Amino acid sequence: MSQYYTATDHFVLVPAIMLALFGCAILLFDFWVFPEPKQRKWLLAFLALGEAFAGYGLWQQHTYIAGQGIAELTAFQGSLVVDGFSLFFNWMFIAAASIVALMSYRYLEVEGEHHGEYYSLILLAQCGMYFLASGADLITLFVGLELMALCFYIMVGFLRSDKRSNEAAMKYLLLGGFSSGFLAYGFSLLYGLSGSTKLSEIGVAIARRDPADPVLLLAMVTTTVGLLFKISAVPFHMWAPDAYEGAPTTVTAYLSVGSKAASIAFLLRIFLGPLASARAAWEPLLVFAAIASLTVGNLAAISQHNIKRLLAYSSISHAGYMLLGLVAGNETGIKGVAVYVLVYTFTNLGVFLVIVALRREGLVGDNIDDLAGLMHKSPGYALLMLICLLSLAGIPPTAGFIGKYYIFLSLIQAGRYVLAAAAALYVAVAIYYYFRIVRSMFMSDAEDAGAMETTFGVRVAAALTGLGTLGIGIFPEPFLRFAGQSLIR
Amino acid sequence: MTTAVPLSWYLILSAILFGLGVAGFVFRRNIITVFMSIELMLNAVNLSFVAFSYQLRQTDGHIYTFFVMVVAAAEAAVGLAIILTVFKNRATLEIDEVSDLKN
Amino acid sequence: MNLLTLVLFLPLAGFLAALLVPRDRPGLVRGFVLVVSLAVFVLSIGLALPQAPAAQGYWFETNAPWIQSPAIRFHTGLDGLSLWLVLLSTLLTPIGILISWNHIDRRVKEFYAFLLLLEFGLVGVFVALDLFLFYVFWEVSLVPMYFLIGIWGHQRRIYAAVKFFLFTMTGSVLMLAAMLYIYGVTGTFDYPTLLTMLASGRWHVESGEQMLLFLAFFVAFAIKVPLFPLHTWLPDAHVEAPTAGSVMLASVMLKMGTYGLVRFCLPLFPNSARHAAGWIVTLAIIGIIYGALVAMVQPNMKKLVAYSSVSHLGFVVLGVFSFTQAGLDGAVYQMLNHGISTGALFMLVGYLYERRHSLEIADYGGVATPAPWLSTVFLITTLASIGLPTLNNFVGEFLVLQGSAQVNFRWTVFAAIGVILSAVYMLWLYQRVFFGEAGEPVRHHVYDLSRREWAAILPLLVLMVWMGTLTQTFLPAISASNARTLERSNVNVEFQVKARTPLVAGQAGQAEARPAKEPPDAR
Repeated sequence: MSQYYTATDHFVLVPAIMLALFGCAILLFDFWVFPEPKQRKWLLAFLALGEAFAGYGLWQQHTYIAGQGIAELTAFQGSLVVDGFSLFFNWMFIAAASIVALMSYRYLEVEGEHHGEYYSLILLAQCGMYFLASGADLITLFVGLELMALCFYIMVGFLRSDKRSNEAAMKYLLLGGFSSGFLAYGFSLLYGLSGSTKLSEIGVAIARRDPADPVLLLAMVTTTVGLLFKISAVPFHMWAPDAYEGAPTTVTAYLSVGSKAASIAFLLRIFLGPLASARAAWEPLLVFAAIASLTVGNLAAISQHNIKRLLAYSSISHAGYMLLGLVAGNETGIKGVAVYVLVYTFTNLGVFLVIVALRREGLVGDNIDDLAGLMHKSPGYALLMLICLLSLAGIPPTAGFIGKYYIFLSLIQAGRYVLAAAAALYVAVAIYYYFRIVRSMFMSDAEDAGAMETTFGVRVAAALTGLGTLGIGIFPEPFLRFAGQSLIR
Repeated sequence: MTTAVPLSWYLILSAILFGLGVAGFVFRRNIITVFMSIELMLNAVNLSFVAFSYQLRQTDGHIYTFFVMVVAAAEAAVGLAIILTVFKNRATLEIDEVSDLKN
Repeated sequence: MNLLTLVLFLPLAGFLAALLVPRDRPGLVRGFVLVVSLAVFVLSIGLALPQAPAAQGYWFETNAPWIQSPAIRFHTGLDGLSLWLVLLSTLLTPIGILISWNHIDRRVKEFYAFLLLLEFGLVGVFVALDLFLFYVFWEVSLVPMYFLIGIWGHQRRIYAAVKFFLFTMTGSVLMLAAMLYIYGVTGTFDYPTLLTMLASGRWHVESGEQMLLFLAFFVAFAIKVPLFPLHTWLPDAHVEAPTAGSVMLASVMLKMGTYGLVRFCLPLFPNSARHAAGWIVTLAIIGIIYGALVAMVQPNMKKLVAYSSVSHLGFVVLGVFSFTQAGLDGAVYQMLNHGISTGALFMLVGYLYERRHSLEIADYGGVATPAPWLSTVFLITTLASIGLPTLNNFVGEFLVLQGSAQVNFRWTVFAAIGVILSAVYMLWLYQRVFFGEAGEPVRHHVYDLSRREWAAILPLLVLMVWMGTLTQTFLPAISASNARTLERSNVNVEFQVKARTPLVAGQAGQAEARPAKEPPDAR
């Protein structure tokens, strides 16, 4: 190994290599070795293998860092970094991608668009997420972001003959490209101001500058706009409802947890790293975006009839809660964001899983009325949905409560009582629309008696998300400790 | 006698190009034109990177430019494919007519 | 694991086990949940046995770490205040199961499972000694009640269920915010620890700050009580709920609010509670009279009983905020009384509904002829509810009036008007339903009490007489813990001056509102 590719570099890169390798392997095997539709389950096995190898690489990094007692491990002259933060998010990505893959198999069969590329795209998008969580350099982060986004553009439009899926992909692509433009422009100004693309050096340079420097402000505003687009915070949220509604449901699930979590990781890296010293300038922007997200997300969700669209607005409001944790800015707040993202991952996957399980020939299952009488038809899924919705609303003893709890606590510790009270009151609004779904499931009678067809994979995924949502709520201690390790110092 | 063009000129040009891209994105109604506006924004970014990089006598900015170009190319490939399927299914490229997804 | 944790977790275990019973065996589910709830009740009687009234601290205490950071402990225990409320919950759950026996015919398994989950939440609320744990149980109890109303209720059930949930939730998120604030200042959620910190001055609260915290807690509890003008969810919820839901809601759930007032508002925020006492009592008295007047004109029996609850609970709030030993004892006693007599009223109205399938008073008349025993039981309950001596409500109302008279005689006068009005609307109801000419539908459909119905109502009748005559069974434990509460609400030095002359404290709010009137002499 040369000085340009040391053993450490390799060690840090292993999970990404595995993801990319198996992603490409699936493409090739799909083409040459398993061309028969029935053989696609081998591709799923390949994906599982890829996740296992990536997980093994991650596990080695985890034990190495813990064993050496070091805070972080940098590679490629500081372009990539492995620390508690990146490990936390990458474990979450592995869980999310695996659960999504498990629930996808039958869904794609029903949709009639079952292609091997799908699994490859899941892995490649996850590879992009890996770089978003581990990147410490503008170039790495930008390329990681685009890798992830490009995979998602394709996945959102995966139902080629479905007009809504096309439209969602197009809107997501255009607005995603637009936001990337803003982000890149902000990055170019940051580079010009500091003379480096390394986050640490940019931080040092910015700390030395006058915070009121107009170029710095422009750089900060454009970067913030780009980042807010990615996490679908108001006023840059327009793409989310359309993309969520039009995309295949499994992709919506992946988009809402994977892309969201990775973007939050990215946002934390930027705001707590290079832009930390300019806090006074960006904090008002984030406060505004957070409150606007809570308001628009919660109020718009009330009138929705399509569950996917409703969840899109709810996810906008959740972005608002996550931003509030960052606004509080103390240790509890950052830990709170990490916990919130973790909780949200399991919970949202659970909700989407039920919608995916509903899908069968002749029933799309994304309308609230499609859930009517679910308690009678399949009580297990109704229960899972109930737990997950309670968690999204933040009612104890589910996981969502722990997440909200930390955000509120951090705001109160930071002395931002008005924000805390506003955030608390929006919980009541959120309950109203989440309980519309509950009402439909438990209190209406089924319109058709068709039973749900589920597969082993869907049942495993259901168990995982349900256990995650309840488990984090009742025994939060290990998860909290895990999230605590992720704090960026 | 040669005097170098000052950095600020490049930056102003880049800002203008970027602004034109944003304006095009917001105001144009044809999907292809909107897409081209995004490319224009990315090229404004490239210009600013190269200008900074030249000024700082570094290569980092150049490298970033190459990556932006690659990303733009990949985005064009994916984007045009998506736009093509939209056109196939609807036979229109007017952005206002592609509006099945609404509240 | 001590007896209390057993009583707490047995319903939860029963809930989970009931979910596993096959759907097509409703008889098995009913039998199973009845056995579980009876077992819980029998065990909970054991809680009342070893009480030493003067005991400091808490009986059956469990204190184990749950979450390290933030420090949340699984801290439960009983004192004189919570003991009887726990027993009330464990008694009414099997009764609720019995009265639903034939009434609930769809989704049987879920209904009974939710009743057990509700019991778990209710008992948890009363035994939690950690603010956070209290909040968790508070929310846990909310969810099954939402479903009980929303699935098994009458026509407008969904509207009522959502209204119930949103009202309670709005209050409780504010309470959560206040709890988090307290944690931020003191670093603990543990209730006894907070009291010690308050007493020793380690936790010092500014008066404005204390008022805000007090209000956040108070609003959450006042919605639940419900205190006028936050009561609007209650009639809807009661009218739409199935009988067992109404019984649990009126008898136990409303007590969560009054319990919270006594347990948290008074000892944790003594100054603010005393400062605010004036207008709170005013609201309570408005509630007493308003509830009684509205009850008088109701054409619907369940609505009538619901508004009478608003009136009765006004007494409880009046007693609590009189800051006297008698008032507080009376308030706690009245919580139990209301649980028993109003619970019984809702059951009897439910019995009538099962027969005639109507809640309108106009559809009845002359029920006494075909159903003499039912009429007798209803009469006893009515008399208990209007406070006839030797029956339970009399003791509570008397103590509350006595306590309020020590502070301000005008309060007593207004509250006494409420007592008279309650006699008017209850007896009038009785007259219209049971006397007169029995119409064709009544003669045709109404029959007397069955053995199952007797089994459900008899324990409550016994308790009405027992609590009305042998008060010494219950009062010593209540008084002892109330004495401690009062002592704690005097801890603040700045306030002890005022505490010696409770007049001033009670008058503070009123004196500002009506400066022309001079404070009347209390003794």
